[in-house]
Amino acid sequence: MSVAWVGSQAVFLSDAIQHAAKLLASSRCPVISFDADVHGTRSVIALAEKLGAAYDHIRGRELLNEVALFTSHGGMFTTPGEVRRRADLIILVGDLPASHHELILSWASAQPDLAGKQSRRWFHLEGGEAVSGGKDAEGELSRQVKAVILSAEAASLGTAVALLRAELAGRRTATPITNLDSLKKALAEADFPVFVFSGNTEEPTSLAMLQGLVADLNRSKRASSLFLPSDDAAWGAVLTSVWMTGFPPRTGFPNGAPVYDPERWDIQRMLRDKEADLHLWISPGDEIPAKQGRIPLVALAHTASPVAGAAVTISIAAPGIDHDCVAYSSRTGTFRATRASAPSDRPAIAGIVRQLAQALPSGEAESC
Amino acid sequence: MLIRLTGGEIIDPVNGASGRRDLWFEDGFIIDKPEGRRADKTHDLSGCIVMAGAIDIHSHIGGGNVNTARLLLPEHHAAHLPRPAATPLSNAGWSTFTTGCLYAQMGFTTVVEPAMSPYNALHTHLELSDIPIIDKATLTILGNDDFLLSLIRDKSSTDMVDDYVAWTLASTNSLGVKVINAGAAAAFKENVRSFSFDDVVPAYGVSSRGIVKTLQASVNRLGVPHPLHVHANNLGLAGSADTASVTIDAAEGVPLHLAHLQFYGYGTEGKRKFSSEAARLAEQVNNNPDVTIDVGQVMFGQTVTVSSDVTRQFLAIGNADPKKTVIIDGDGNGGGIVPYRYRKNYYGSLQWAVGLELFLLIDDPWRVFFTTDHPNGAPFTAYPDLFELLMSREARDAKSAELNAAALELTTLASIRREYTLEEIAIMTRAAPARLLGLKDRGHLGPGAIADIAVYRRGSDIAGMFREAALVFKNGDLVVENGKVVHFRWGKALRLKPTPDKAMVRRMQAYHEERYGLSLDWFTFPDSAIERDEPFAEVSCKS
Ligand SMILES: [Zn+2]
Repeated sequence: MSVAWVGSQAVFLSDAIQHAAKLLASSRCPVISFDADVHGTRSVIALAEKLGAAYDHIRGRELLNEVALFTSHGGMFTTPGEVRRRADLIILVGDLPASHHELILSWASAQPDLAGKQSRRWFHLEGGEAVSGGKDAEGELSRQVKAVILSAEAASLGTAVALLRAELAGRRTATPITNLDSLKKALAEADFPVFVFSGNTEEPTSLAMLQGLVADLNRSKRASSLFLPSDDAAWGAVLTSVWMTGFPPRTGFPNGAPVYDPERWDIQRMLRDKEADLHLWISPGDEIPAKQGRIPLVALAHTASPVAGAAVTISIAAPGIDHDCVAYSSRTGTFRATRASAPSDRPAIAGIVRQLAQALPSGEAESC
Repeated sequence: MLIRLTGGEIIDPVNGASGRRDLWFEDGFIIDKPEGRRADKTHDLSGCIVMAGAIDIHSHIGGGNVNTARLLLPEHHAAHLPRPAATPLSNAGWSTFTTGCLYAQMGFTTVVEPAMSPYNALHTHLELSDIPIIDKATLTILGNDDFLLSLIRDKSSTDMVDDYVAWTLASTNSLGVKVINAGAAAAFKENVRSFSFDDVVPAYGVSSRGIVKTLQASVNRLGVPHPLHVHANNLGLAGSADTASVTIDAAEGVPLHLAHLQFYGYGTEGKRKFSSEAARLAEQVNNNPDVTIDVGQVMFGQTVTVSSDVTRQFLAIGNADPKKTVIIDGDGNGGGIVPYRYRKNYYGSLQWAVGLELFLLIDDPWRVFFTTDHPNGAPFTAYPDLFELLMSREARDAKSAELNAAALELTTLASIRREYTLEEIAIMTRAAPARLLGLKDRGHLGPGAIADIAVYRRGSDIAGMFREAALVFKNGDLVVENGKVVHFRWGKALRLKPTPDKAMVRRMQAYHEERYGLSLDWFTFPDSAIERDEPFAEVSCKS
């Protein structure tokens, strides 16, 4: 079975690496989109520095507001373990990604053993306009955990959070929130209420507003929030990038030093505006990258055939399936070492990327 | 390769008087002068002093809270000056990579991350493994975790406590145990906002004292070389000297290490009800030979406080500068990130002086350790200036002249004449840390020690001398020349590896399945998860 192609031609892996390295080396402004486990991410960032390239996670757009909550605001957070064991009141905020529903349901079937009372209540704050697709599944989640619905007519989630904060702080608002009194009563009785939220790409300020609400509550009682990233692997890449360079993605290395700038290093924009002159795509997922105009594409993908339009395609392993891996998990709120579920010989991202870095002529690094 | 260092003044108090003599090493270890052999390489160190590589026992260099601080403050890293390129990630700001380089350039070769949350052990070790050149170690945090508090509440046997502590040390790959504001983080979850040594965690009916004493005894029984590392209650508050004082008394003849004592050196005298109690605490330390302390010196400028003392950090939110903070109610301690700028005002000046008083009034350099509690009192890059303050009364007087006179008047600093000698510096930053941590293979330059060697060019500019080591060898590899990193290598994380009791492993399996709904392997990891050759090295327990 072939694992490497130049154009549509199957080649030896070493030849594909040489060819890709040549393209990278001659590129003035390469950009890297990636999705990888921790060790893959480490190799990608080291390569980006060597190339003077900009990098972003392939779900970078969803990450923006989640990252910005920390870089510009901060907040009060707790862990999934504490939610399960201590939260006697859980308020789900907005549509939470389906990938986290199993975790949320697992709390419903467990008693909070560290709470004063061995039971918990559920509420669900909804935005008026459903985010694409999530609504039905979300309604199902609410039903399964028997959540009381909080909604403010057609108000968006961001507006609903703002209204709720105002009401809880004793300021009257014009728009009524359903079941507000019942939430107020539940909050008064709860020892450790937790607001569970995820990124809200449409309304970035809603995350800071929610933290404002939590801070208000903490003036006199305890409350916290649980952050469930829109994508666990992407959040793992954020954390890894932060320790390696000091910055989350989107980061680039103009003149060798890392520079964090979410607008400047928006890879889709750079490709559209032809600022970038080479696109390195690295992902073990199902998504297949689209070549943008004439900009050459080097694709490291979980594929058995060459990616259409790619100058070079290399087939890579899926972390945790083909090989053991370390990845972020919202089940524990930190990294976890996982065994391969179906071990194979497919090359790991980290191995391929390191070979690419080694194949570059040394001292290379002109950058955009 | 056989290497000879000649012409330098060897300062190695463990192995005799200072003086000019040759030092030989081969294959990463220091050896006796080999008879009849010629060195493959000789370094002429005329005009230089030669010490063992320095060891930092308390510096927050990696793990969940440190990384959250980086995420919270991208502008903080951008402020770091770009460094010369040509090496992988050499330009990164406050990154893992820079951390290793900056430490090595100052002649430090081993650094302990003192606050690893057990469930964050994999994350912490991943970060530490990305810190180049130096060796690392971690202290694992216990004392606010449900399992231990339940054991104490239920009056479980000492064997049970020891098995749990040993299991935690083994599964987190740590070198020792730290307790941080014992019980306060658990109580904070019940909305308890002030917590002292004899206060009780409501849900467990267990006092802070009870937790500290339980862990101190267990660490001692297990033969963990490093005594229990205690971050006491009431950090930073006026009157916290009383808390430190009762904590020191509670040592009761068993070894105990008190972290960053400077942050507890405060009384309630003066117009602002914030004064120095350093002289009293120093005397108490002098009279308690089982107690060791590190200082946590404050230096001026912007920094960020990173602490697993969630109660204290929550109370400090109002002081945040810039105004953004993270507070975490964790599985156990959690923590808080509060950026802060130490100003040359009354408070900053007093804190600065309290730290120096402790350094200078505690007589025994074997029992006072050199730290800024990086980054809490100051980033570790301020170390060279701190060495100068300790070694030069003139430097202290010059700095004092820039500071708040009313604050300094409430301290004894101006009256202290002591100046640290190079031998005392070598004890405090090399020999004593090695002994405190149980690292027999370092901290000195005798035959058999690993060749971790720092060479400084002797000069009147003390800070300059310590900022840029002339040469640094790590395990015999030349890694720094003229203050610049010339060679990269990967160090190891030092750990105790006690064999966990089988019944405790089963109990931990059951506990995690029942309480977290997850099998134990969600919380533990094999060495291979670090993906480096030999990421760890073992240190033995006392028998
Ligand atoms: Zn500390």
